Amino acid sequence: MMKRTSVLIIAVFFLSCDHGLAPPPSVEPGFGGTLYFEKGTWPSPDSLFDLWVFASQVYPLDSSKVFQGLFSNPPTIYLYPAFDKSLPFFVDSVSYSFNVPIATYKYIGIIQQFATEINIHNFRVVGLYGTNDTPPIPIPVIVNEGTFTPGIDFRVNFRKPPPQPF
Amino acid sequence: MGQPARGTLKGTIKDTETGQAVVGANVTLQGTFLGAATDANGKFSIVRVPVGVYSLTISMIGYERLKMEGVKVANDEVRSLEILIHSVPIQSEPVIITANRREQSFQEVPVSVSTVSAKMIADRNNITLDDALRYVPGVNMMTDQVNIRGSTGYNRGVGSRVLVLLDGLPYITGDTGEINWETIPMFEVERIEVVKGAGSALYGSSALGGVINVITRETPAESEFRFRVFSGLYDKPRYPEWEWTTKPRFNSGIVGSYSGGTASLKYLVSVGRTVDESFRENDTYQRWSLFAKAKYDLSSTQSLTIAGNYLYRTHGNFFWWKSLQEPTRPAESQRDGLVTSDRGNISVAYKEFISDRFFYTLKGIYFGNFWRDDSAGRVNNVSTSHLFSVDLQATYDANTSNTLTFGIAGNYDRVDANLFGTHPGVGAAIYAQDEVAVTGEIKLTAGLRFDWERVSVLKGTAQLNPKIGLVYMPDKETSIRASVGSGFRYPAIGELYIESSTNVSAVVVLPNPDLKVESSLSYEVGINRSIGSMMVVDVAAFRNEFENLIEPSVQIKRYHPNPSSSYEVEGPVIQFDNVTKARIEGVETDLRVEWWKKWFSTDIGYTYTWPWDVADNQILKFRPRHILYAGGLVSWDRLRASVDFRYLSRIERIDENLVRLAPIVDGDARVAIKIVDVRASYDLIDLGYPLRVGFNINNLLNYSYVELLGNMGPVRTYYLTVEGLF
Repeated sequence: MMKRTSVLIIAVFFLSCDHGLAPPPSVEPGFGGTLYFEKGTWPSPDSLFDLWVFASQVYPLDSSKVFQGLFSNPPTIYLYPAFDKSLPFFVDSVSYSFNVPIATYKYIGIIQQFATEINIHNFRVVGLYGTNDTPPIPIPVIVNEGTFTPGIDFRVNFRKPPPQPF
Repeated sequence: MGQPARGTLKGTIKDTETGQAVVGANVTLQGTFLGAATDANGKFSIVRVPVGVYSLTISMIGYERLKMEGVKVANDEVRSLEILIHSVPIQSEPVIITANRREQSFQEVPVSVSTVSAKMIADRNNITLDDALRYVPGVNMMTDQVNIRGSTGYNRGVGSRVLVLLDGLPYITGDTGEINWETIPMFEVERIEVVKGAGSALYGSSALGGVINVITRETPAESEFRFRVFSGLYDKPRYPEWEWTTKPRFNSGIVGSYSGGTASLKYLVSVGRTVDESFRENDTYQRWSLFAKAKYDLSSTQSLTIAGNYLYRTHGNFFWWKSLQEPTRPAESQRDGLVTSDRGNISVAYKEFISDRFFYTLKGIYFGNFWRDDSAGRVNNVSTSHLFSVDLQATYDANTSNTLTFGIAGNYDRVDANLFGTHPGVGAAIYAQDEVAVTGEIKLTAGLRFDWERVSVLKGTAQLNPKIGLVYMPDKETSIRASVGSGFRYPAIGELYIESSTNVSAVVVLPNPDLKVESSLSYEVGINRSIGSMMVVDVAAFRNEFENLIEPSVQIKRYHPNPSSSYEVEGPVIQFDNVTKARIEGVETDLRVEWWKKWFSTDIGYTYTWPWDVADNQILKFRPRHILYAGGLVSWDRLRASVDFRYLSRIERIDENLVRLAPIVDGDARVAIKIVDVRASYDLIDLGYPLRVGFNINNLLNYSYVELLGNMGPVRTYYLTVEGLF
């Protein structure tokens, strides 16, 4: 009995020989996840010019703040993959990894440019990182130094876009 | 009119088996305040005993409690007794008072009770009460928030579901309904009793998950001066990148206590100072504490006790970490926050024996709390709360097999805070309980309490809480218990009325005056059995059902961005709400064994809980499923050395929305908790010094963990302690 108890105590003691929490590996700050496009909802090719993930430090947005945010120095709105590049079209899903400066991003979503001209009236938000409510409410993401937040996923239904900010 | 007739009762108490004198046994005359403790030769003497026939009670840790009936004292007579008492295997305190509001032996109680003695507190160098509770089976702490058998989730202490009593009186703050551990004078604690399961049938609101009663020590008959000095040094965090400073960080304190008085008036005054530099940035605290207690025996049957304490504290406002990359630094918004608090209480207790079968106690307490938090020199939040409670309780031994306990209680509180507004609260209660020995082996307990409370302008609410318990003792070694009891908690004023954009986060918190009362129903069966002379095992199975649990939850609401705004915005807010219904089932075991003529003892407690969120049909948030405590103590001559290990399994589910919205960076980072503490102390009395020197290493393996989201637990810490008694 004595031996068994001693063995149990020693076993329990050695169970604690891992060290618990550890610093996460150093990473470029940002966030990432997967975009899921609901099947059968992609629009026709003639209304697909660009598709981006956007991250805005400003919310609520109105039309006057969009280009100001994109092109101010430093910007308050960032696009992924880049202003002159687009996410792929007609896929079921795509993962992304968006490195952004340290800040709180109050409004994160997917934006579609549906006509040639770069004009605020040719943009529409088609996905939103938000709550599960109807309509969804934006959830802010804080990006800290050395912190990359995974799991910022989107489910995009082009036929049911979230409320438009502009 | 002549002097009343009196006599003297004296005697010797010896161990039945060894015949040796028993030192430090308490001898009391039932129905009076008269009593004595045995000296180094096992002798006691009680003088000026009014003539009569008494019941004599002898109690001593490690010995069976003995009651001698029909002890006659005649005028001018010196009655001498030779008393033999049986040693028993290791036990907890021989007397439990919290379970049924009266003194009972451990085996007579129909619910699970654990105790922490003053010696255990001193051995572990516990600085605050919450530290002392970390090794109680079935109890786990989330920093300063106590959770008994899964009753409490994440509420940062607000709205405690465990009722804390200080010498039997409620000790929950009036504003947030939380427990303020620091104001409890640890150096003056005699013992702590932890009663598990709902206890509102006796104690009213907040006793959903259990009751913790902190019993301060009796003022001693002789003058004495005691002191305790400790100094602790924090080791470096395990990883160099977690170091936020190169300077050594200390946690030091001193407390001195003087007691004295006359035969009828005894008093005690204690003053303490603690400075904890902490291992984290902006987590330093400094505090002054004062505790005083006086007991005046108006006669052999009447006594008046007045006690009070005061605490002044400043504390850095480390609410959560910056990130797991820098867990010893606070989030940017908390880097210069400071919380200042003044807290104090004064209590009065009058006790009178009407006869040796009937006595009553009238108790009252005032508990005042003031705190404010500043940030960058600006005052953010200020709160003042006043809480008055009174309780009149009578206990009547109708006969040797029937004890009736009944009473009335009332409370008034008032809160004035920019966070919560200005609100009064008032409550009243009436309770009764009967304990009947159905046979020599079976004891039945039944109780009922009616509570009514009204907060501010809200409608008053009433609660009726019953309990029933059964104890079956088939032999002297075995006690089988079963109980059913209910519990409830009125929402705290803080939960009902909090309205803020907190200083530590941009998140908006909205009031919810529609909160309903939380309630619980606890079932338990258990067995306590002594095996041979060296082993005690206790096994309990329990089931607790909770309704309308109040927790902070993230909701999407339309709200006015500030009180004067005419428009509303819509967005995510945090609000206290009746969010869930839960069922927690589990098993708890405790095995204590003494080895090799009692110089080595071990204690292993394991609690398995299955905490289920019935509303969401998944595991309940913020509850560990396994809690294991294991400890060993070597006691040889003047040396005591011990080791404690505690394991809490990783919390499986948290509220991701809270983490995301607060926001707490890496707030979901958590692991199982595995902590080893070691300590040794040596008594220098043989060298002619009335001193005890102790050395502790807490978190020996420098394990990194969180008890609360975004809050890393203390790193390895070395403590040197010196205690003296003059």
